[in-house]
Amino acid sequence: MAEYVGIDLGTTLSGLAYLKPDGNPEIVPNSDGERLTPSVVFFDSHEDVKLVGSAARDGGEPDRTIFQIKRHMDDPEHLVEIDGKKWTPAEISALILSKLKRDCSKICGDITDVVITVPANFNELARKSTIAAAEMAGMKVKRLVNEPTAAAVYYAHSQGVKGRILVYDLGGGTLDTTILEVEGDNIKILTSEGARHLGGSNFDDILLDAYAEQYKKQTGAALFSDERHRRRVLQATEDAKKMLSKLQRVNDTVANDQNSGIARIDLSREHFEKLIRNMLTRTVFLVEQALDSAKLKTSDIDHVVLVGGSTRIPKVKVILEKMFGKVPKSCGNVDECVALGAALFAKKSAKIQEVCNASYGTLAMVYNAKTKEEKLMNSIVIPKNTPIPCSRTQVYQTSEDNERIIEVDITQGEDPDAKYVDVIGRITLDVPAGRPKGCEIAVTFSYDENQRVRALIVDKQSGRSKEVAVSYKGAGVLSDEELKRRSAHLRAMRIE
Amino acid sequence: MFKILKSLSKSLTGHKPATEVKKPAEAPKGGVLNQVAKGNAAPAAPAKVKTPEELCEITPKMSKDEIRAQLKLLYRRFNRSASSLDAKVRGEAETMLNAIVDVREKHFGEI
Repeated sequence: MAEYVGIDLGTTLSGLAYLKPDGNPEIVPNSDGERLTPSVVFFDSHEDVKLVGSAARDGGEPDRTIFQIKRHMDDPEHLVEIDGKKWTPAEISALILSKLKRDCSKICGDITDVVITVPANFNELARKSTIAAAEMAGMKVKRLVNEPTAAAVYYAHSQGVKGRILVYDLGGGTLDTTILEVEGDNIKILTSEGARHLGGSNFDDILLDAYAEQYKKQTGAALFSDERHRRRVLQATEDAKKMLSKLQRVNDTVANDQNSGIARIDLSREHFEKLIRNMLTRTVFLVEQALDSAKLKTSDIDHVVLVGGSTRIPKVKVILEKMFGKVPKSCGNVDECVALGAALFAKKSAKIQEVCNASYGTLAMVYNAKTKEEKLMNSIVIPKNTPIPCSRTQVYQTSEDNERIIEVDITQGEDPDAKYVDVIGRITLDVPAGRPKGCEIAVTFSYDENQRVRALIVDKQSGRSKEVAVSYKGAGVLSDEELKRRSAHLRAMRIE
Repeated sequence: MFKILKSLSKSLTGHKPATEVKKPAEAPKGGVLNQVAKGNAAPAAPAKVKTPEELCEITPKMSKDEIRAQLKLLYRRFNRSASSLDAKVRGEAETMLNAIVDVREKHFGEI
């Protein structure tokens, strides 16, 4: 049995690693002989089989092929309908995880307990969906760990470095930036910041638009008219992007499927960098946000570490070198280090101090006696970057005479302005009648190692209390019975 | 300073401060619930197309440091909104992120 297993469930690629007896992690290839498995699922119409990986990606039926499901893990309303059955993002992800489990266990032994990586800014529902996906695939999640944290663990292990490290993780779908301190085996996370929908697939889309524009200019026709052909061209743009990380210029030819002629695409690295400059500037903002969040300057960072396939783009390295005054390093294969780090994390988690990824609080009218102003504000109870697990309490006052029901909204976000935070839940508590306003209510938030939140409210006068695990109003989260039923169903499926 | 609990559903009703206070900011039309729940991230729909500076509320009198601070604040806000489940909020966030990048390039140069 593989005791310490880590899985990188990526937007475009997924990988599984285990810890060898010598303490070093190793990627386990799938049955197709690939070290990483494309996170793509194909539902065959002829046979009752689900293809996962390269075979699914290279198939030709876009209506039956699911790409980048990870982008929807926090959307309770996102369902994929195939042959009348509606699949949740967690179920699709479970098919990918099942493929990894089945294939890899043939090499490294039975896989039961795993550490799975998630983007640093994955919210509560996305984390729950990830755990549910693993359970449906027959695995127990020991811990969820943030992707840049896992990568940094691997970097620290393989390079034997110490000091402050900034991890810049630009993957297929997301950008994460994490700053951490390493001292021997001990790792202390200082902060993580993330941007969703900022990754390699966005660059592919930008290139796709450029191809379509060129095609229109040269032939007067549209480059694609259906999803099947769009996918084919998209694959060509992805290949061109990869080539431009090695070459200064690439030439390509494209045609639509309406016999409108062939267009020649002449693309330079300089032009590609210009096309994605807006996106890359956004990544600089995120790095600055991480530095501000940790109250650090660029000169306080000892190592800049690159993770994720999109960091192969030369301009990324140039930007970071200019910013930090030092050459960024990669920890071996930038696509594999997250899974490798997750396997290490499975064993070393006790030595890794993580922090809250977001601030949690409630809405309150804050009255300032000095200025005599009052304002509806996001009142933070647990600030972002508090080491976890943690618990914090703030005392508030009731707002009305004879208030019978206390309502506490749970907010996620740092902004003091209530307009710019998410309200992720609400607790209500019945209290005795006939009391004046101003009664004290203690609000306690707790945050566990898996970045999940619990809230407790206590009416100090009556002693009445209520505690809940914060959930997104239950939407998108499966009940235990439903999870068990779907797990049994999934395990009986043919997944190749 | 004291803090009075105010849930979304109660935020437009009832509370009067214990002492005379300045009038709080007027509640947005449609209620606080509506505004917070939907993020209401970007400014109201403009009558004319706003420039990136106008969208980012950058004025000619602002110093470089003030502009930098404003852009950082806006980036934090709209980067968050960019992952909203509400397509409208995401669209508004995208407009704002583009404006933030434009203003940065204009005042601080390209990366």
